[in-house]
Amino acid sequence: MSAPAALGVNLALFILVVLLVPCIYRMWAGPSAADRLQAIDTITTLLIGIVVLLMLIRNDRMFIDIAIALAAFGFIGTLALARYISERRRY
Amino acid sequence: MQTILEIIGMVLIAIGIGFNVIGMIGLMRLPDIYTRLHATGKVSTVGLCSLLLGAAFLMPSAALKLIALAIFAVLTLPVSTHVIAAAAYRAGVPMRRFSRDDLAAKYSGGSAGGRELAQQGDDLFKIERSAEN
Repeated sequence: MSAPAALGVNLALFILVVLLVPCIYRMWAGPSAADRLQAIDTITTLLIGIVVLLMLIRNDRMFIDIAIALAAFGFIGTLALARYISERRRY
Repeated sequence: MQTILEIIGMVLIAIGIGFNVIGMIGLMRLPDIYTRLHATGKVSTVGLCSLLLGAAFLMPSAALKLIALAIFAVLTLPVSTHVIAAAAYRAGVPMRRFSRDDLAAKYSGGSAGGRELAQQGDDLFKIERSAEN
């Protein structure tokens, strides 16, 4: 990867890490449990992108397996927590 | 050839970052959980897929797994958005004021506050319509 591409990937990684801040705000201030679940789901989506960009920076193919596992477990966890919320049991 | 692949990959990554930024602005600014799900559910799906395809152009040795992960994201992220919206509706999370709840007559187990607010919204809508006519 050439130097401008490496700089662009680093900048993209910085922007994605900054984008975690609105999600954390929504998770902290969200009025209902579903808001917090949505924030967690969005954080998982952003973390997949962050791991993929780290793969590009570190030039290591092992990170893509971490991203796949994160996507799978995030999906299953979202389904389980949504089922829990929809039965009106409050946190 | 390498330079062309890098340019395509960087353009795709920039598109993905732009979509993610728009989705996070929607997550901060919109008034209601349903509208916020509308903002982030689709936008972050497109953003993540564009990011993954850009990474596949930048690192062709991992392209197969990246494309498989993109297909998995397209399949699962709308499902999780739908599930969160259904859970919020069943748990009775109120809607924004003056928005219609079309499911309120069908499901009596919906949110009571949501029904009242929807009724107010319907009344206001009728008043506006009669004022126009």
